[in-house]
Amino acid sequence: MAALASPVHAADPTPHITVGTQEVSLSGGYLLPHRLTKDHTTKQQGPVFMPSWMMTLTDPIGDSWYRGQVSLGAEMVYIQFQEPFLTHGIGFTPKIKYTFVAHNRIRPYTEFAGGPFWTDLAGKIPEESSRFNFILSAGFGISYFLTNQTALNVGYRFQHISNAGTHYPNLGLNASLPYGGFSFFF
Amino acid sequence: MMGQNFSRPSISIVLAMTLGLGTGCSHWIELAVSTDVAPTTSATVATDARVPVLLRTLQVTQNGAPVAPPTVLERQVLGAIEATRLFSQHYQSGFTHPAMEQARVTVHLSIDNLVDPHAGQAAWRGFVVGASMFTLAPFISLNYDYGTHMALEMERWDGQIKRYTATSNGSAHYNLFGASPDVIEQLKGQVTEACLSSLLNQVIEDSSFYLASNTQPQDHPIRTVSVGVRRPSNRAIPISRPLADSSTR
Repeated sequence: MAALASPVHAADPTPHITVGTQEVSLSGGYLLPHRLTKDHTTKQQGPVFMPSWMMTLTDPIGDSWYRGQVSLGAEMVYIQFQEPFLTHGIGFTPKIKYTFVAHNRIRPYTEFAGGPFWTDLAGKIPEESSRFNFILSAGFGISYFLTNQTALNVGYRFQHISNAGTHYPNLGLNASLPYGGFSFFF
Repeated sequence: MMGQNFSRPSISIVLAMTLGLGTGCSHWIELAVSTDVAPTTSATVATDARVPVLLRTLQVTQNGAPVAPPTVLERQVLGAIEATRLFSQHYQSGFTHPAMEQARVTVHLSIDNLVDPHAGQAAWRGFVVGASMFTLAPFISLNYDYGTHMALEMERWDGQIKRYTATSNGSAHYNLFGASPDVIEQLKGQVTEACLSSLLNQVIEDSSFYLASNTQPQDHPIRTVSVGVRRPSNRAIPISRPLADSSTR
């Protein structure tokens, strides 16, 4: 049995993400406004911070370029609106992500998140009247694994904030959010 | 009075959160009883009649595709064979071998693993759990099925061959917050252990076939050893338990 102590399986450079692998990440970006109609006048912008936690739900699905894994988690979103007024927004969103795993250390992903969002910017701008809103985000990005457990992320999200018609006016705020961050897997 | 009115909802919330987190973090593993499991066998053999065993090949496939045998599996297989005490020494191909002229038993083992992670179901259920802001997490379970089929070929020093097969299946059920790679590894380990036990139990039934000499001298005493299969740690674990306990097997 002593002969069994062998280095046959050396360190595998491929990140080994399996069912139940958890991911904590911290991302930051800058919000850039989109005024989609002539009624939209506010140029809201400012830094955004997004700590998140995710759980891998599946082993890799599929056998082609789309081979990937689904993960589910939650994210806190904090926005410091620096324009048009120095105000703040904070939200909590469940988040689902599909990560393409066909390219070992470089792993593109798409993600979707949505949940409640509070901001004191509303009421000071013509688009939104209530402080209680919802925030929806959809986007894509790329993770580059520095080690088997840590990855750098860069991505883009389109973000929409509105109150689901609970108060009027409710034109909604739309923005682009380029961001970067890092993740730790365990 | 105010204190009492205030405390009841607080207590209810604390209890609900405790119950939710407790059940939301649970997991349990079920092993299906293999159809070809025989009662555990044991025998007594002469120590000096035992011969070395050489694990020549270990082939593993997963869902039909060949994969490299993990080191831990090689150790598990040889450990299980060693635990039977049916053989005098244990070798693995690629390392030290028994002497060429020495009688020995050569082992070829192929393992077909069938994995069904229910990925689509997990994705949809995960979406529902997320959409409910995780309030449904304690009530929606996720499933992971694992099965293995082993075919063992044992060749005696004189070229005689015996073949054995065994099958074992199991399922892990867990809630979102109870998901962990440990749960899946635990399931795979238990299924593999159960299947190995079933396989080696059949080998023990043929223990005399693997001894160098079946005739023993009657005039002087001989040393003997009891051989048998170690029991799998758990035949079935239909229990719910916190993740912290999962490492204790």
